Amino acid sequence: MTLIGLGARNAFRNPFRTGLTVVGVAVAILAFVLLRTVITSWNIASEVAAKDRIATRHKLSFVVPLPKRYVDTIREVKGVQAVTWANWFGGKDARNPDAFFATMMVDAKTFLDVYDEMVVPPEQKARWLEDRQGALVGSSLARQLNLKVGDRFTLTGTIFPGEWVLNIDGIYTATRKSIDQSSLFFHWDYVNESLPSDRRDNVGWVVSRIDEPGIGPDVSAAIDKIFDQYDQQTLTMSERALNLSFMGMFSAIIKAIDIVSIIILLILVMILANTIAMGVRERTSEYGALRALGFMPSHIRIFILGESATLGLVAGVAGVGLAVPLVNGGLSRFIEENMGGMFPYFRVDTTTTLQALGLALVLGLASGVVPAIQAGKLSVVNALRRIE
Amino acid sequence: MIPIKYNIRSLGNRKTTTLATALGIGLVVFVFASVLMLGAGISKTLSSTGKPDVAIIIRKGADAELSSAIDTANVAIITAPKQVARRANGQPDGVGEVVVVITADKIGGDGVSNVQVRGVPDDVWEFRPDVTIIEGRKPRPGSDECVVGQAVRGRFKGLELGQSVELKKNRPLKVVGIMEAGGSSFESEVWTDADVARSSFGREGIVQSVRVRLINEGAFEAYKRGIEQNRQLGFQVERESVYYEKQSEGTSAFIVGMGGTIAFFFALGAMIGAMITMYSAVANRRREIGTLRALGFGKLSIMISFMLESVFLALLGGGVGALASCAMGFVHFSVINFQSWSEMVFRFQPTLPIVGGSLAFAALMGVLGGFFPAVRAARLPLIKALKD
Repeated sequence: MTLIGLGARNAFRNPFRTGLTVVGVAVAILAFVLLRTVITSWNIASEVAAKDRIATRHKLSFVVPLPKRYVDTIREVKGVQAVTWANWFGGKDARNPDAFFATMMVDAKTFLDVYDEMVVPPEQKARWLEDRQGALVGSSLARQLNLKVGDRFTLTGTIFPGEWVLNIDGIYTATRKSIDQSSLFFHWDYVNESLPSDRRDNVGWVVSRIDEPGIGPDVSAAIDKIFDQYDQQTLTMSERALNLSFMGMFSAIIKAIDIVSIIILLILVMILANTIAMGVRERTSEYGALRALGFMPSHIRIFILGESATLGLVAGVAGVGLAVPLVNGGLSRFIEENMGGMFPYFRVDTTTTLQALGLALVLGLASGVVPAIQAGKLSVVNALRRIE
Repeated sequence: MIPIKYNIRSLGNRKTTTLATALGIGLVVFVFASVLMLGAGISKTLSSTGKPDVAIIIRKGADAELSSAIDTANVAIITAPKQVARRANGQPDGVGEVVVVITADKIGGDGVSNVQVRGVPDDVWEFRPDVTIIEGRKPRPGSDECVVGQAVRGRFKGLELGQSVELKKNRPLKVVGIMEAGGSSFESEVWTDADVARSSFGREGIVQSVRVRLINEGAFEAYKRGIEQNRQLGFQVERESVYYEKQSEGTSAFIVGMGGTIAFFFALGAMIGAMITMYSAVANRRREIGTLRALGFGKLSIMISFMLESVFLALLGGGVGALASCAMGFVHFSVINFQSWSEMVFRFQPTLPIVGGSLAFAALMGVLGGFFPAVRAARLPLIKALKD
């Protein structure tokens, strides 16, 4: 049996205490995995963004719309393949105004061309294109609101006042994560035609698909340069940059989560260090005996570090074993359905799993360092004499 | 009763263990107290923003000023009722304002975020006497000048005295003053002339909200009935204090919900840490416990003694944690407001009840963590304990 192996067995000499320690550290690891998952799922939106799409909005603010004629100008820019536009509608479910989900009015014909990762059964698609009052609903939103194809659904407008009656014509899924499945899309024309003439023909943003990802920055600059001479200037950026800028608004929260994850790790070290220190103190006379038999201080140190590393690893495995089924099994569905707009895909990342396991091992080792150094320094006579 | 000195000395005897456990609990209390302080800071900011004797009028169906629109012609109707207070010159005490958000670059490389811009009439300073200019001067009516709240000054590019933000090409909005508003959310806003805001953001002929000061708080119901009765106008009336409470609901629920979940996991981990420490204290002191029993101390006093020791341990950590969290009072936390999508700056607000509550929370962890070990100590058979 190796020295580290002996140390590892020491960890289980007091099964009750070891059990408590493992539970305590496992809870900390669970919390750590949860927090990291919040951050990784948050960032997914920017990572999975389509590389061949750029978006144009008003330079000053996302609440100020652009004139619709800008769409035609953008379509003529070199490198632009297809163009579509959309407005944030800001509608609420008339039956349940507290439920939050994204509602957007889009140009149906071009929208599905530009967002070609959206999957709608052909007959549903045909029906939607025909129906002025038709709407497309994401599959997870459909589950959440209990909607089927053929249902009638009333939206209460916050920006566009009134009750808007829609027909659910289709339910979409997506082949990529770049579009979330908890939004509702309906016809831009439907709203536009009913607006007073001075509010008509405004678009929230314009999305263009470009020939290839590499030319994105050039095309964006070209678009902004054209409108620089106009009354309303524009800001064009890649879908990824757009998503990132959205994320920037939450930077304080993300920073807070980062700090809290570090605090968790500190607490974890405290629990482990406490257990190791107690074990070492109880076995002081034992170490004295070992030293008297001819073991060197370095052997004692290896014993202790082996023990602490084992504890850390066991607890890490337990924590991850608890967290992964909890998040991927139960929590993910709940979050994707209720907060799908923010977390379209809430799963534990493999990197997070490895990170948690690695940190548990390293921090386990680290928490054994001080006791190991102290035990190594003990003189044989003192260690043998010490009784507690 | 076993003298308390016994417990304190026992803690002092096992320095590493005591320190590790106390620090673990301290970190938990730190996070717990910080979350509560942020919650208190948010509600303080918003309660100082909304006044109970002020009514805010927005278009029916709009959920915030941002999505509302009211024809300027209707402002006179809104301010006409007899419940509205009059100024010395006989004019009704009310203001109609334009509210937009603009995208601005954050200073410090955190990307971009949104700042709320309020287009205010000339007499806004009479309407909100508690907003004062602490540096520079008020903007001249009708000019491209603005004042910046002290909470956002210097946080975004251009938002500092003497600098400017560009609303349109070649049309900079110059910052001529910094305002202070008693810690309210107006300190996170930029104020400029209403007409300038209207023409720059395409809001000609409208205001987005009207606020009126009522003759007293009790006049609200009658005023609300009077305005909302007129369905032709389609307005909704709310107390300003209630309006701001609703505005912050999402943000503060998010922070308190997330903070609460984190604190719960942390508390679980730290409690287990305290339990480990106390169990081993009991195991190490079997002979002492036996002696105490032989001296005539009853089972109950042994139990109380160990419970007290655990509570001391927790309070030691809790004290450190609570003290450290008070230092958070100097930290500004800028959070996105989910209703307006603009940044609001909050302060951590240390209060006596929060500090007291966190200490109580620590003591509770001590009680829960110490209970089972204390029961074990009390149940130790006397003879067996002495024999060890």
